[in-house]
Amino acid sequence: MLSFFLPLFLVFLLLGLPVFFGLIAAPAILLWLNGQERDIVLLYRNVYNGMDSFPLMAIPFFMLAGEVMNRSNITMRLVEFSQAMMGHLRGGLAHVNVLSSMLFAGLSGSAVADVSALGSMLIPAMEKQGYTRSFAAAITAASSIIGPIIPPSGIMIIYAYVMGESVAALFLAGIVPGILIGGGLMLTIHLLADRYNLPARTQRATWGQRGQASVKAIWPLLTPVIILGGILGGVFTPTEAAAVAVGYATFIGLFVMRTLKLRDMPEVLTNAGMTSAVVLLLVGAAMAFKTVASLSHTPELLASIILGLSDNPLILLFLINLLLFVVGMFLDAGPAIIILGPILGPIFTSLGVDSVHFAIIMAVNLTVGLLTPPMGLVLFVTSSVSGLRVETIAKATLPFLAVEVLVIFMITFIPAISLTVPRLFGFVH
Amino acid sequence: MGALLGLTNGLGVVNAALLTFGRRLGAGMVAVMVIVILLQVFFRYVLGNALAWPEESARFLMLWMTGLMAPTAFRRGGFVSIEMLTRLLPTGASAILSLLLLGLSLVVMIVGLQIGWSEVTGLGGRFATDSLHYPTSLDFSTWDKVPKRWMMLSLVVGLGLLISVCVELILRSLVTLAGHANRLIEIPFAVMGGAE
Repeated sequence: MLSFFLPLFLVFLLLGLPVFFGLIAAPAILLWLNGQERDIVLLYRNVYNGMDSFPLMAIPFFMLAGEVMNRSNITMRLVEFSQAMMGHLRGGLAHVNVLSSMLFAGLSGSAVADVSALGSMLIPAMEKQGYTRSFAAAITAASSIIGPIIPPSGIMIIYAYVMGESVAALFLAGIVPGILIGGGLMLTIHLLADRYNLPARTQRATWGQRGQASVKAIWPLLTPVIILGGILGGVFTPTEAAAVAVGYATFIGLFVMRTLKLRDMPEVLTNAGMTSAVVLLLVGAAMAFKTVASLSHTPELLASIILGLSDNPLILLFLINLLLFVVGMFLDAGPAIIILGPILGPIFTSLGVDSVHFAIIMAVNLTVGLLTPPMGLVLFVTSSVSGLRVETIAKATLPFLAVEVLVIFMITFIPAISLTVPRLFGFVH
Repeated sequence: MGALLGLTNGLGVVNAALLTFGRRLGAGMVAVMVIVILLQVFFRYVLGNALAWPEESARFLMLWMTGLMAPTAFRRGGFVSIEMLTRLLPTGASAILSLLLLGLSLVVMIVGLQIGWSEVTGLGGRFATDSLHYPTSLDFSTWDKVPKRWMMLSLVVGLGLLISVCVELILRSLVTLAGHANRLIEIPFAVMGGAE
């Protein structure tokens, strides 16, 4: 009977019950009906113990670092740097948009922060240069999803915690896929230049101008070096690295760039705290859900169903990508990972798929889901930044979405894309 | 209707005040968490002296931050859910469905609160934290270990605040169903991202 908790949970979810309550209510109701009231206490304990975690603290810290950098207008320097490097190309600002997102990804790890920071700056600038607003919004939205793929990444921290993976391994595994998506988007811009009548090439920045832009951007560009270098060098844990990123961003904002004011801090802290609180509650509930999932033998049951479809891991990976894509249309990446990770992860690792490889397939696929209606968080934020309707942006992103889907399949069927870097650092054997 | 409206708006005012206090306290806790962890790194790598208390105290603060700030997110519609069905249904049916879902959420939270309180006052709460101490005299000459129940209380307080918010949201739904939504005090709505 306990195995019915998953269908019951899905019913609750589709009816509109918040994921947090659904994760607890579905197993609790079945435990109660099963006469296992005492196990409901265990459910509560798992929620509490799931939240009481030092590694999980990296989430509020990275969110805070992103908020501080946004408020400090550090993004401006990244855009100037990208402009100096790629602004001369045909459709220069579109390329700048993508490169800025890739660089911003190394600071914040959040697609939403990327859209808010870069969209408000680049969409009006692109419109002024002759791009249509829908194209500007579409490329901003499409490139923002690189945020949670290139490290640091909030969703990778969640996955690592829920699934017992190494945060450093997942961070490293996201680097090449993130660059691949960025490269794919730039190639699409290049190929679609005539169709969208993108602005012509302009004069290339001199090496002096590029040098100047690089010096100005050196402070924010050093952030990912500090974070990854610190973690990989064994100097600090991911949580400590996140705290260092907050300290570093605050220092730059207050004393180097002087764009951050102390009076901004209460709002910055409140935003980061409030968003993190919701994520932490969800992770706590997911840990309880995961326990019930194992007790009810649901993963084994699902495994037998999935394995009944085919015994070829490649076909199963293809099917699971379709499932994840559909799930991503309705759920944000974090909750989807929390729900599906503990169920799908063990099935695919038992089939011989490397756990880090599977984590990246899930993370990238569900992150791309942020771009797909009806529940695409990035579409909603881009809509509020650009003033365009969600449907208009969703339609305009289609060519870019196609490229991202292509990258998902490349990641799926060429494990080396995600595993080479972690292997070089000894995380994957 | 007047009594229901008065009760709803009255509870709204109380919740707004409580949650503002919680948010401010939570924001301060986030700042202290960062400082404490930076101190940990500084002492370990610069002074070569690993401190015992920063990790546990930061966890203590994170749990309280969650308990104090999550209810604001809930009140502002920041809890992740799939709202397609409620959007597709006619207004009346959508309000009834919302009411049922809020009712179910309330039951979950009340059961959680009962269990949480028994945990805080039970055996688990009597254990002490590993590294946290508090002064037991005004001249700071004597110290005692912080009991675990102080940490565990965070989720209970969080659930208490969530229940209060949930009751307010149920009352608001009833007022909306009665066609008097325009007479309700406004709750700021937030489009909140998660870890994405």
